[in-house]
Amino acid sequence: MLEYIVSKYNFWVYVILLLIGLYAMVGKKNLVKKLIGMNIFQSAVILFYVSIGVKKGGATVPIFLGNAHAAHGHGNAIIDVASYINPLPHVLMLTAIVVSIATTGVALAVLILIFRRYKTLELDEIIKIRKDTGV
Amino acid sequence: MKVIAILIIVLTGGLLIYGVEEMPDWGDPNSPASSHVSPKYIKEALEKTATPNIVTAVLGDYRGYDTMGETAVIFTAGIGCILMLRKKRKGEGEGD
Repeated sequence: MLEYIVSKYNFWVYVILLLIGLYAMVGKKNLVKKLIGMNIFQSAVILFYVSIGVKKGGATVPIFLGNAHAAHGHGNAIIDVASYINPLPHVLMLTAIVVSIATTGVALAVLILIFRRYKTLELDEIIKIRKDTGV
Repeated sequence: MKVIAILIIVLTGGLLIYGVEEMPDWGDPNSPASSHVSPKYIKEALEKTATPNIVTAVLGDYRGYDTMGETAVIFTAGIGCILMLRKKRKGEGEGD
């Protein structure tokens, strides 16, 4: 049982991180806390994808060093796949990080507008104000 | 409210931990993600794109249109922030 947990401990860590983010999104009433929860959630997913690309046994970052141009010139270089980690999750998560930054920026701008109108960021107070004024 | 939230957390956590059982081990070189498409990219990226960094080769060459769409996303987000946060002129009133 312990060996089973240790062999996949990275996934357990991401599950816990994702649940923290999900709880902040669902359980908290402050809108900024909800936004931070969304960011933690995104970080958990990004870490999960990056960890998929890991290879044990001497694999390094997917960058060719040294005689890279010589190998390109001949075109028949033998590249050992097992010595480079999987580059595709890294590429996809690069895109995901950029999109998450854009999402966070727009969400913070919307929060500033909400605060200007209602003078609070607590969700229950905003709902109460909207009910009272009938807007 | 809190009870519903904790109920959702427990349900989601149970499902995710049930799914962990099917995942490959940490750092397994023969995991499904590393054994189908990815060897082709590692072998051919240098020859086809002349870029030593495979991540850059995939981002800029293989997925160039995706990266262009990504810049469109960033541009739209920036324009949206500017339009939301700018100071209103006198004639425009308070309506958002």
